[in-house]
Amino acid sequence: MYLLGNLKLTGNDRKMKQESQFAPPLPYLDVADPGFSIRSAAVAAAREASWVARTNYGLAVLRYDDVQKMLRHPKLRQGSYRWPALNDVTGDFARWWESMLLSQEGDNHARLRRMANPAFSPKLITSLAPKFTELANMLIDDFAPKGKCDFIAEFTEPYATGVICELLGLPFERWRELADIAGDMGLALGVTFKKDLPTIEAATQRLFSYVEDLVAFRRANPKDDFIGMLINANEDKSQLSDQELMDMIVLAIFGGIDTTRNQLGLAMSTFIEHPDQWALLAEKPELARAAVEEVMRVRPTVTWVTREATEDFTYNDTLIEKGTTLHLFSQSATSDPRVFEDPSFDITAERKPHFGFGGGTHHCLGHFIARGDMTEALKLLAQRVKNPRFDGEVEWLPDSGNTGAIRMPIAFDPA
Amino acid sequence: MKVHVNIDICLLHGQCVIAAPEIFSFDDNGDLVWVAEIDDSQVADAEAASDACPEQAIIIG
Ligand code: HEM
Ligand code: SF4
Repeated sequence: MYLLGNLKLTGNDRKMKQESQFAPPLPYLDVADPGFSIRSAAVAAAREASWVARTNYGLAVLRYDDVQKMLRHPKLRQGSYRWPALNDVTGDFARWWESMLLSQEGDNHARLRRMANPAFSPKLITSLAPKFTELANMLIDDFAPKGKCDFIAEFTEPYATGVICELLGLPFERWRELADIAGDMGLALGVTFKKDLPTIEAATQRLFSYVEDLVAFRRANPKDDFIGMLINANEDKSQLSDQELMDMIVLAIFGGIDTTRNQLGLAMSTFIEHPDQWALLAEKPELARAAVEEVMRVRPTVTWVTREATEDFTYNDTLIEKGTTLHLFSQSATSDPRVFEDPSFDITAERKPHFGFGGGTHHCLGHFIARGDMTEALKLLAQRVKNPRFDGEVEWLPDSGNTGAIRMPIAFDPA
Repeated sequence: MKVHVNIDICLLHGQCVIAAPEIFSFDDNGDLVWVAEIDDSQVADAEAASDACPEQAIIIG
C-alpha cells in the first residue's frame, strides 16, 4: 500500500515496506501548465502506467472503471465547495456558492434535489423540443446567407442562453444581458477570482435582483412551466425556502449557459475534423441524439469533476487520506483502450456511457435539457450548414477544467 | 404496481434513492435494492424516481 494525497508517511512499517517493494513511482501531470492538455500523450501514457496520477492539485483518476466507481464512492464528496475559501473570498458570490445544490451533501443535498426534480423532468423537457428547433432555425437564418459565421458568438452562445430564457419564461431578447451577467460571475472559476471580485459581486447582485423580480412576477402570474414548477416546490417553505429557491434558479442560469455553449462548439470542431460523420448526420437526422453522446465521449467540455475524500480509505490497494482532492478525468476515461477498443469518433457505434454529465448524486440535473437542446441543434445544423470548415483562427480555453472555444470562425455551404 | 430496474443500464447514480428513499436503497455491498411491488400510495414517488433516473432504467407498471 502506498500513500497518496498529502504524501505524508505514517509510521506503519508494513505500509512502508510495501511501498518500497511494490510501489512504482506514480506518474505526475503538471495540470497547472498553460500548455497542459487532457488529450496529450502524457495523459495517455500515465493512464497506461497507473489508474491514478499525481498532479498539482491532488490526484487524477484516469481509467474508465475507476472513474465510474469514484463517481459514486461513499467516502468522496463534491470537491469545489471550498473554492471561495481557498481563494480567501467572502461575499454574496461565496454565500451562494457554498449553499447551492452542487456544494451540498447528504440530506440537505437530497432535499434540494428532490425539490428541483419536477422542473427538470424528461416529460417537461420533451415538450420544449419545438421551441429549441424554432430558436436554432432563427439563429441559423441570421447567418446562413453569408456562408460564414463565428459559430460561438452567432450560434452556441445565443442558443445556450436562449434556452435558459425559454425555461425562465423570458423573451429571447434578454439573452445578451443574461449571458453577460453569467460571464461576469463565471470569472469566479478562474485563477483571477480575487482580483475580479468587484465584477463578480456586482454580477451576482444583479442576477439575484433579476431573479427576485422574476419570482415575484411569476407568483402573480402562475403557470406550470419550468420556473412555475420550481415556484410550486417553494410553497412549503420548510422544504424549499425563498433563498433556496433563488439559489436554485441562479444555479440553473450559471450552470446551464457556458456548459452548453462550450459543448456545442466542441461538437462543431469535432465534426469539422470528421466531415464524413457530418454528412452522415445530415442524411440520417435520427442519429442526432447518438451524435451528442459520442461528442461528449470524445470531447467533453467538463474534462474533470472534483471530489474530496471525507475520511481515509483504501482503493486499489492505495491509501487515500482524508482531505485529498481527486480529479476524475472524463475524457481520459472515455478514451480508455481497456473499454473502447476503437475509440475513434463514430456516431453509429454502440458505446458505454460517457461521464460528460458527471455521475452519482451530483449527476447533472440539467442533462435532459442539454441533451434535448443539443440534439435539436445538431439535427438542424447538419441539414443547413454543409461542409463546415474553419475560416480563421479558433480561440480556445485551456484544454483542461471546463474547456471549449471562445471564438470559432467557420465557413460553410448554406443549404 | 410493479417496479422494475433494468440493471444492465443502471449506473448506480442513486438518483432514485434520493427521489424515493422508501422504495430504493443501496445495500451494504453498494448494490441497488428496491421494493418490487408497491401500493397506490407509493406510485407518485416511484414515478418521481423513474423521471429522475439519468439512465431511464426504471420501469413502473
Ligand atoms: C452540455 C451542457 C452541460 C454539461 C456538460 C453539464 C455538466 C455537468 C456536470 C459534469 C455536473 C456535475 C458536476 C460535479 O459532479 O462536480 C453538472 C451538475 C449540474 N448541472 Fe449541468 N451540465 C450541462 C447543462 C446544464 C443545464 C442546461 C443545467 C440547468 C438548466 C444544468 C444544471 C446543473 C445542476 C443544477 C448541477 C448540480 C447537480 C447536483 O449537484 O446535484 N446543467 N453538470
Ligand atoms: S437512478 Fe437509475 S441509474 Fe441511478 S441507481 Fe437509480 S436506477 Fe440506477
